[in-house]
Amino acid sequence: MKVKTNRIYLFGILLLVAFAGFSFTAFKDSMTPYVSYDRAKEGDRIVQVAGALVKGSYSYAAARESLFFTLQDPKTKQTLRVRYKGLKPANFEDAISIVAIGHYDEKAQELEANKLLVKCPSKYQGAEVEKTYS
Amino acid sequence: MDYLSHIYLPGAVALWSALIFALTTMVGYVLALSGDASGISFARRSYSFFALSIFLTAFVLISLLMARDFRVEYVYQYSGMDLPWFYQFAAFWAGQKGSFMIWLFWGTMLGLLVRRTTGKSEPAVMGIYTLTLLGLLLILVRENPFLMLRQTPVDGQGLNPLLQDNWMVIHPPIMFIGYAASAIPFSFAMAALWRRKYDGWAARAFPWALGGFLVLGTAILMGGYWAYKTLGWGGYWGWDPVENASFIPWLFGTVLIHGLYMERTKGRFRRANYVFTFLTYISVLYGTFLTRSGVLADFSVHSFVDLGISGWLTFLLGGFMLLGLYLIVTRWKEIPTVPSEDPSFLSRGTFLVMGSITILIAALVITAGTSAPLLTRFMESQSQVGPSFYNRVNLPIAMLVAFLLSFVPYLTWKETPGNVLLRKMALPIAFSVIVTVAAAVWRVRDVFHLVFILLAALALATNLQKTIDKYRAGGFKAMGGYLTHVGVGIILLGIIASSGYDQSTKVTLTQGAPKQVDDMTLTFKRFIPRQGREKERMEIEVARAGRSPFMVYPKLFVNDRTRQTMVNPDIKSSPFQDLYVSPIEFDPGQPRLELAQGQSGQIGDMQIHFVRFNLNMDGNAVAALNAGHSTTVGAELAITNKEGKTFSVTPVYRLNPATGTVETPPTSLPGGGTITMAGINTGSHAVQLETTGLANPMKLSIDVTKKPLIQLVWGGLYVVLLGGILTMIQRFRQARVLEQIAG
Repeated sequence: MKVKTNRIYLFGILLLVAFAGFSFTAFKDSMTPYVSYDRAKEGDRIVQVAGALVKGSYSYAAARESLFFTLQDPKTKQTLRVRYKGLKPANFEDAISIVAIGHYDEKAQELEANKLLVKCPSKYQGAEVEKTYS
Repeated sequence: MDYLSHIYLPGAVALWSALIFALTTMVGYVLALSGDASGISFARRSYSFFALSIFLTAFVLISLLMARDFRVEYVYQYSGMDLPWFYQFAAFWAGQKGSFMIWLFWGTMLGLLVRRTTGKSEPAVMGIYTLTLLGLLLILVRENPFLMLRQTPVDGQGLNPLLQDNWMVIHPPIMFIGYAASAIPFSFAMAALWRRKYDGWAARAFPWALGGFLVLGTAILMGGYWAYKTLGWGGYWGWDPVENASFIPWLFGTVLIHGLYMERTKGRFRRANYVFTFLTYISVLYGTFLTRSGVLADFSVHSFVDLGISGWLTFLLGGFMLLGLYLIVTRWKEIPTVPSEDPSFLSRGTFLVMGSITILIAALVITAGTSAPLLTRFMESQSQVGPSFYNRVNLPIAMLVAFLLSFVPYLTWKETPGNVLLRKMALPIAFSVIVTVAAAVWRVRDVFHLVFILLAALALATNLQKTIDKYRAGGFKAMGGYLTHVGVGIILLGIIASSGYDQSTKVTLTQGAPKQVDDMTLTFKRFIPRQGREKERMEIEVARAGRSPFMVYPKLFVNDRTRQTMVNPDIKSSPFQDLYVSPIEFDPGQPRLELAQGQSGQIGDMQIHFVRFNLNMDGNAVAALNAGHSTTVGAELAITNKEGKTFSVTPVYRLNPATGTVETPPTSLPGGGTITMAGINTGSHAVQLETTGLANPMKLSIDVTKKPLIQLVWGGLYVVLLGGILTMIQRFRQARVLEQIAG
C-alpha cells in the first residue's frame, strides 16, 4: 500500500509541475505589454497603447464595419492611427484617455485593435469641482 | 475649525461615534480575553452602539442623497436632478467612499447575527471581526463622505449613464454582503488559533462560509446578467480585474466549503482550513487593493482611480496578512490532525482532496493573471494578460473538475471497487456518450471540446442520479451538495456551447431593405423616438423560413447630460439559443433646415413651411423666461407630403434657465420619420429643424450574434445556488444542535 501511495503523490506532483509550465507559457503568450507608439509600430506582437483621442479624428466606415481614430501620446505628442472592428464604446468621444489593445498592421499603417478601454469620469470630476466651486 | 465648517456634521458625528464605539468594543473584548468577566457585557453594549452609529451614518448619507443636497460633495459628484429616486438611492454606492460605506454597513449588521453564533468563543471571534470592520472604518474616517463644497451648486454631476440600470440598484449591495461575509469564517478560524482551541469552530463557521459563497455567487450571476443583457459587452464574462476580484474569493470560498465538509465528516483538512479561511478573506482585501488603489487604472474597464487610499489599503492588507500568517505559523505544529488513513485512489477522500487542490490552483492562476501588471511592473514594459490566458488555463482545470465530480457521488470513503462504480454509473455514462455524439453531429469537431462535453455531461448525470436517490431516501435534506454539482455540469456545457460556438455577424441595414444573414432575413423597420423614460429604439424584423417573424428593439441613444452614446442590446431568447442584436452605429440621414417665419424648405419628399412660433404652449413663454422659469416654445409647421396632403405639426423646444438644460423631443410625422426643433436663431427669428427618415434612408449597423445554449449558464447557476441554499439550511441546523449540546 505504501508504495502505491507514494506513486500517487509522485504522479500528482508531476501533473502540477506540468501544469505550472503550461500556465507560465500561456501567461507569456497572452501578455500585452504597454508600449510606446514606436515600439508598437514594430508590429511583432500584441501590445497596448494609451493616448488621448485627437479631436475630430474619429469616423465610422460602415462598409468595413470599423471605427477609425487617431491617438496622441500626451507626453511625446506622437500620434497613432487606430482601426477597431466593432462597437463604438459608450463614452468614446468624452474619453480622457483611450487604451487600445491589438496588433500593428504594417500595410495599412494602423494599429488593428481588438479591444478598447475607455477611461472616463471620476478622477477628473473631482478636479473640476475644485476649479468651479472654490 | 475650517475643516469642521466644511463638513456635514450630523453625518460626520455619527461616523466619529462609530469609531469611538468600535474602539470601546475592542477594549471590552480584550478585557474579556484577559479574564475580566465584566468586559463582555461592556463590549456587547459598545457593539450595539457601534452598529447604531453605522446605521445612522448610512441613514444620513441616504437622506442627503434623497434630499438632493448638493452642498455635500459626494451627493454632488454622483447624483443629479434628472435621476429618479431609485437611482438617487443607488448613487450611495456609485463612488469609492459609498462603496466602502455599504461594505462596512453590511459587515456591522452581520456582526449582530454572528455574535449569537459564537458561543464561548465570543470575545476572540468578535474581537477579530470588529478589528476587520475597524479597518474599513478608518478608511471612511479619512475619506469622509460628508465633505461639503464651499458653494451650493444647483445640480449635481449626475450618475454615470453606464450605471443607470436596474441592476445598479441591486447588484453592488449584494456583492458587498458577500465581501463582508468573507471576514466571518476568517474571524472564527483566527480566534480558534489565538485561543488554541482547535475544535468546534469549523461547525460554527461552516454555515457562514456557505452563506458567503451563496451571496457572492448570486452577485456574480447578477453582474453577468448586467453585462450581457444591458451593457452590450457581448458576453457575460470578460475576465476583467473587477470581475476577477469577486470570482477569486468565490473560488477560495468553494475550497473552504469542501475543506470544512471534510473536517466535519472525517476530521481531515484540519490545518488546511485555517489557510483556506485566510485565503478567502485576504483575496477580498487583495482584490479591493488591486481595483481601488489605482495600480490597475490603465488596465481595467471599471477600476477606480486612486483617491489617495492606496497606502491605507496596503496597510490593511499587510496587517491582516501578517496577523493571519503569524497565527497559522506559530500554531501549525500544535493543530491536532488525525493520522490519515492510507488513501486508496478510488475513494471519496482522494477525489475531494484532488478537487480542492484543482480549484485552489484555478484561484491561484487567476490571481496571478489579474496581478500581471504588478508582477511585470519592474520588467521592460508593464503588461497585462488577455482573456486568452484565462480561457486556455481554465479549460483543462474545468475538465479535471468535471472528471472528479463525475465519480464523487458513488465513491465511498473506503476503497470502492471499480466494477461496482461502473455498474452504478452505467446510465450516466450512456447519457454522456449520447450528448457527446449529438454535439459531434451538431458542430463540435474539436476533440478537446468533445472530451470536455463528455466529462461535463457525465458530471451532470451522475450527480443528478445521486440527487434523485438522496431525495427518495431522505427528502431535500441530504441532496444539496449533489444538486450543486449538477449545476456545475450544466454551466460547463453552457459555457462551451455559448462561447465556443457562437456566430457573430456585423451588418449594415438600410431602412426598409431586407438583408440576408445566415438563415435570417433582417429588416430595419424604423427608428422609434424617445417616449418618456423609454429611450430611442430601433425596430428590426427578424424573419426565418417557416417561422413567424418577430421584432427586436435594441437601443442606441445619447445621454442628455454627458452626450455619451449609449447602447443597449436586445436579446431574443429561445430554448436552444439567444439571438443577440447590438447596435454599432446609426446614420439618421438627417439634413438640417433653418427657416425664418413664413419661409418654406424641402426635405426628401416633404415640403416644410414654417408658419410661426407658438409662445403659448405652456403659459406665456416670454413672461416665464423673464421670471426665470422653465419655458416652452413651439414651432407651428405645415408639412406637405408627396401625395399633396398637408398636415400641421408643432415640435417644441424646452429651456430651463435655472439648470441650463434644453429638451428637444422629436415629434413623429404621419407616414414615418420624425422632426425635431433643434434650436432657435434669435437674430433672424428663424427655427432650426432636424428630421430623421425623410431624405436619405436611415442606416443602422448592428452586431448579430447567435449564442447557442446560453440558457444553460444561467440555469446551471440557479441550480448551484439552490443546492447551496439547501446545504446551508442543513448546516445551520447542525450548528444549532451543537449549540444545544454545548449548552
